[in-house]
Amino acid sequence: MKYCLLYIFLFLVAPLTGQQDTIKIKEIIITGRQLPSDLPGFKKSNIDTILQNNYKHLSLSELLSECSSLYIKSYGYGGTATTSFRGTGASHTQVFWNGININSPMLGQSDFSLFAPGMNDFIDLSYGGASSFTGPGGFGGSVSLGNKPAWSGPSGLYLSPGIGSFGHYSGFMKLSAGTGNFRTVTRLFLNDSENNFPYMNNVNGDEPLRELRKNSQLTQRSFLEELYFRKAYGIISAMIWLQSTSRNLPGSMLVIQDGPDEKQFDQSLRSIISYEFEKGNIKFNLKGAWSATELIYVSKTASINSVNNVNTFTLRGDFETKATRNTTVKLHLIEEYSIIETNNYTDDKSGNNTSLAISAHYKRGNRFGSSILLREILDGTSLLFPDFSAGIEYRIFSGIDHFLKSSFSRNSRLPSMNDRYWNPGGNSSLKNEYALQYEIGYRIEQQVFNILSADAEFTFYTSRIRDMIQWQPGKYSYWTAQNIGTVNASGFESVVTLKYNYNKLNIGLNTGYSYTRSVNARVEQNRDAYQLMYIPENQANSTVSFSYGKVYLFWITDFTGKRYITVDNSEYLPGYILNNIRSGIKIDPGKTGADINFTIQNLFNTDYQTIAFHPQPGRSYFLTLSFKLIK
Amino acid sequence: MRKLIFNLLVLIALASCNEPDEPAFVDTVINRVSFNGFFIVNEGNFGWGNGSLTYFSYDSIKTYNNIFRSVNNKPLGDVPYSMMFYGENIYIVVNNSEKIEVIDRKSLESIKTIYGFISPRNIALAGPNKAYVTSMYSDSLKILDLKENEVTGSINIKNSSESILVKGSKAFVANWIEGNEIFIVNTETDELVDSLEVGPEPESMVSDKNGNIWVLCNGGWMREHFAELICINPLNNSILKKYIFPSKMNSPLNLQADSDGDTLLYIDGNIKAMNIASSDLPAEAFIERDESMFYKIGINPVNGDIVATDAIDYQQNGYFMIFDRKGKFISDHTAGIIPGNVFFMVNQGHIIE
Repeated sequence: MKYCLLYIFLFLVAPLTGQQDTIKIKEIIITGRQLPSDLPGFKKSNIDTILQNNYKHLSLSELLSECSSLYIKSYGYGGTATTSFRGTGASHTQVFWNGININSPMLGQSDFSLFAPGMNDFIDLSYGGASSFTGPGGFGGSVSLGNKPAWSGPSGLYLSPGIGSFGHYSGFMKLSAGTGNFRTVTRLFLNDSENNFPYMNNVNGDEPLRELRKNSQLTQRSFLEELYFRKAYGIISAMIWLQSTSRNLPGSMLVIQDGPDEKQFDQSLRSIISYEFEKGNIKFNLKGAWSATELIYVSKTASINSVNNVNTFTLRGDFETKATRNTTVKLHLIEEYSIIETNNYTDDKSGNNTSLAISAHYKRGNRFGSSILLREILDGTSLLFPDFSAGIEYRIFSGIDHFLKSSFSRNSRLPSMNDRYWNPGGNSSLKNEYALQYEIGYRIEQQVFNILSADAEFTFYTSRIRDMIQWQPGKYSYWTAQNIGTVNASGFESVVTLKYNYNKLNIGLNTGYSYTRSVNARVEQNRDAYQLMYIPENQANSTVSFSYGKVYLFWITDFTGKRYITVDNSEYLPGYILNNIRSGIKIDPGKTGADINFTIQNLFNTDYQTIAFHPQPGRSYFLTLSFKLIK
Repeated sequence: MRKLIFNLLVLIALASCNEPDEPAFVDTVINRVSFNGFFIVNEGNFGWGNGSLTYFSYDSIKTYNNIFRSVNNKPLGDVPYSMMFYGENIYIVVNNSEKIEVIDRKSLESIKTIYGFISPRNIALAGPNKAYVTSMYSDSLKILDLKENEVTGSINIKNSSESILVKGSKAFVANWIEGNEIFIVNTETDELVDSLEVGPEPESMVSDKNGNIWVLCNGGWMREHFAELICINPLNNSILKKYIFPSKMNSPLNLQADSDGDTLLYIDGNIKAMNIASSDLPAEAFIERDESMFYKIGINPVNGDIVATDAIDYQQNGYFMIFDRKGKFISDHTAGIIPGNVFFMVNQGHIIE
């Protein structure tokens, strides 16, 4: 019932956003505007950059878990973290870095604990069919990590060391320099954590016992160098991103370990060279990327030493032109070639796929817009059934930012290399998965007086995933990958944002709620359709931000409902509410400045798990002292 | 329009509200277990900690799932694999939790949890108040004192171990993973005394009515070798007979002997049955698998009933089927996730008709 009250509270704010829709002043200003959306009919959002900055000492998994509707399934701080976007599996979320897909070709998914939010300038989320405009395969959606030059920004050094509970030390450095036509940005992130937090073990032994989490040490290094050069109509950029993570993987609470047993080492080198050109109605962007990743997993007990090396070469070309005054036409070509060396396949394997898409975006007057995309994928030498996306958006009342939008998509995802070649059980004759997606949404952007703005978006979606790849027990007692899964996912998402600014006082409220129903569509007779495991039906989060002059505070609340951990929904992990506080004071006397930030994670010391029998830390503290020096 | 949206949202919010969390386990808690039934250790998914214990009562013809947790209010652990009855106690070997749960044979209440193992698999009585525990990922057997319920020592056999069978003062220990040997341990001195080369990956062993030991070597999961069924004379540790399976794709598992000790049963897709005097491996199925995928079998030592488990997709709850000694289907019942080995605790005269 306490959750019920929480939901009602979250929704009570919704009607407030529309109460001031008769303000005439803004009507005059807005009437002449086209639709503001760059992708009419589809849903996209971005992580608030101020909030993103506050998570630069943590990982992307923590940021998305607490500040978005994505559900992150994590083995604990520093442990492997995968996502469920709109009730889909981890491999149905595509992750792009500056337009290049960085999901592991072997696994078909990303470990979000490896990414530090401070290494990127922005994080965009594309929901459902919106992701297909960036690349294929995002049945749930996509996460885009991006870097961009601040041409007019000053040169400067930003240093931010931090210290926190459970032996957590980290440091972030960003160095920006350059002129109006040349920019260089260097970022460095170092992170070490003993991660030895106490937790209540109530499953091992006769009585609940306060234990210390052991063998979960984490060491993380990340370095990113960006170079930008612009001349006339073109920009040339080069980026190189090195990452190295070493971690002990603790067992479940059911196992008493004497010493570190499982270890994982992840190393990656990602690089992109890009040329961007824009003149008149013509715009194009050519990118060449090389990604080399190594994942080593060692289990002493199981005598496993799994070594996995992947090299991926990607070419991407995006061409854009104005076909008419209201219509923009784009061409997207993506070519990916991966080479896998691993002791888990019978021999080295390679895979090649090419996708070509054409999209058109049309905006008529200030009330109507539409987007359409048609994509063809060449998987090796096989052409897939074409994918498409189509969306429309309509401003309901002239001059007022109330938009009704709807979209329909077909999206395909190729099997991962492990699905095809893992020994034993890989199936080289797997077909691609595909999904049919539909959504309808309502978006409101409302300026109420000059000091208060209110935005809200409500979306209903449904997705039918077919030929989904599942690993099933095979004839010879090992599992094999097969195209037998059928999943129906549907749900509702809401986001409400209020901003109040008056003199030095800024108050913000961002709330989100999502209801997700994701079931196996192939239900046997006389059996209920069960919610898929580890997908919460109810999720909500809110961020209250407050700043007055130099002082600021964020209160972040994250609610995750119960998650079933058995196929027949007979057992589940209970829901939980987490509260985090991030507060600080900025000292900014001219060209130098400092920011003292103090964070309390899990304020009320909530016991919770996102994976059964893997405890999460209780209350913890983190202090950062950030300095900037601007030239 | 705004009111409509608002009302809709409130309705959804109310519909999505949950009652306070209730315990997930709703099985009736039984206070005592009859001595006429069998246990199935449900392995659960590796690393997920959802292993459980099922008890089927011949008296009530009823299945009690998740009975360990119902009685003890704690999960059994990660991959429970085998059991042993001794005196008033039951010893449950929980592989990936690296422990043995000791419970009362009648009430099933927890008595003690014994730690100090590395990937324990099977347990066998090796003398008065003494048991050996095999280990999948270490080179030693653990010696268990059944009176004090503690580990008292280990026997280095320099290889991993899987199934174990004790005959007199000899313990025959199979070296399963990537192995091809049976090690013989003197149970009086707790020393490795001999070894015997058999086929690749000896997986299971039983004793027949003549006192001979049969070893099923499944050939290895890479399917690079032929599986073998081998008969050993335990007196002089010599091989009496050897049967080689016709194809490398044969992957027989879970050898069992019937209650008379003259017929061997194993899973090779279907359930196969072979008289110990037969000169050839059986070509025909004894029990066709039809839609099922047999995972483990057990044979009632009193009436010869055959219990076969089916893990279905290894994710949802599996089930078990009961057949009579002639292979005629009697009934099927739901078990836990990945229902594995079957252990009988029966009195004479209890037969399901």
